Amino acid sequence: MYAQAFFVAVFGLAAIGFGVVVFRTSSMVRSALALLFSQTAVGCMFLAMQTEFLGVLQIMMMATEMSIMAIFMVMFMMDPGGMGGMDMTHQKRFSIGAGVVAAGVAIVVAFWADWGPVTAEAPDAAMQTRALGMELLGRSMLIFETAGITILTAMIAATAVAIPVQTTANSADKEDTE
Amino acid sequence: MNFVIVLVALLGSVWLLAVVEGWTTTGRLRPAAPLLSGLAHLGRESIVPRTPDRVFFETAPVLLLIVAVLGAAVLPLAPTLVIADLATGALFINAALAYVLVALIMAGWGPNGAYAMIGGWRFLGQLIAYAMLIVMPITAVAMRAESLVTTVIVGSQGGLWNIVYQPLGFVLFFIAAMALAFRAPFDLPTAPGELGGGVDAEYTGVRLGVLRLARLTLVITLASATTVFYLGGWHGPLLPPWAWSLIKTLAVAVSMLLAGRYLPRIREADLMRWCWTLGIPLALLNIIVVGLLVLVVP
Repeated sequence: MYAQAFFVAVFGLAAIGFGVVVFRTSSMVRSALALLFSQTAVGCMFLAMQTEFLGVLQIMMMATEMSIMAIFMVMFMMDPGGMGGMDMTHQKRFSIGAGVVAAGVAIVVAFWADWGPVTAEAPDAAMQTRALGMELLGRSMLIFETAGITILTAMIAATAVAIPVQTTANSADKEDTE
Repeated sequence: MNFVIVLVALLGSVWLLAVVEGWTTTGRLRPAAPLLSGLAHLGRESIVPRTPDRVFFETAPVLLLIVAVLGAAVLPLAPTLVIADLATGALFINAALAYVLVALIMAGWGPNGAYAMIGGWRFLGQLIAYAMLIVMPITAVAMRAESLVTTVIVGSQGGLWNIVYQPLGFVLFFIAAMALAFRAPFDLPTAPGELGGGVDAEYTGVRLGVLRLARLTLVITLASATTVFYLGGWHGPLLPPWAWSLIKTLAVAVSMLLAGRYLPRIREADLMRWCWTLGIPLALLNIIVVGLLVLVVP
């Protein structure tokens, strides 16, 4: 019990620490990977709380997602390495205010919400995986399928928008470049 | 105790693979060569490039080694000889090996060099190509075993190995595993001769030694995963279970080595096109066929 609380606290602090690094560095790649390791630490918190499937899933998904975010930031930011001395921050006063309010709300909710009785014994990991599968393919199936189709539609639409419109004027250019 | 045994087996396999690799490239069988070249790496100057991202530069080789070992931690050599028999073992190996990408991006970005950076980002494109072909065949394997536990997956192949039960899945997984381990013909992130070594380019001395060790460990981990998922793991006559696991793992690793020696390096765009237009439909077909087999055949 104490060991569990200890590890949850350690990974929680690591998540916050990496979260701070995200905003303390000017390098976009460092920032993206710091966010990745912050999320990995959250995944480790899941593991410490005996939710093995969710923890492993979180650790797996974030690696690719944050890496892809990193390359987009390198593509679109003017100073991706943070070596040009550009100031990447803006609206500082507003952000600080929003951050303090959000943290306050989170703390109030954490302490005042009725979390219900604490489970004394978590079911073993194989049972959890099974129960999660039953949930995803049962009651929650429609929600997840809808979300999946929506994301797929957005991806196809984004790709379609990114493809340049073929006109007779630029088709000649295209043949040259290919 | 299992931890020590598995680590020793991993190191021994890495050494054997390095010896075979030397044998196929130079034509001479020199068992001491990997050790000597490792020692030589320790003795050489370890150069740090100008204005590097020092944290990435130092972390990348070690991270690559750690994730390769973490992946091996859930793969059983024998029914009880496994470091962590996790309930989500087949998912965990994906989670661990996803960080190969992170390590390579770090190794590419860290040294502040053009070739290295191109190599690192290239691997991101490579991941987009191979990732589904790792995950979807494993899904079909887990469907047959009705479990994500690696020891149960091996147990499910007692009668018939998965290479016979789902040959399509095996072929896709084998190719994707080679791409994940960035072995030739999928060695786009390093691409000697074309990208001047890519992510390896700026590493020297002890750091390069760690990087090379990590790469070979990754190959062994993936060969071991192929053994566990498709070649019946420890099943086999006469010899003890751990011996079968090791023999099969080494056979897969050497076959990856040989396949790479006789094929030209694939282009990034071609890899992406083949994986998405041919590989993913085939992987879906594999899942459907295995689903039908699981439901119809008693």
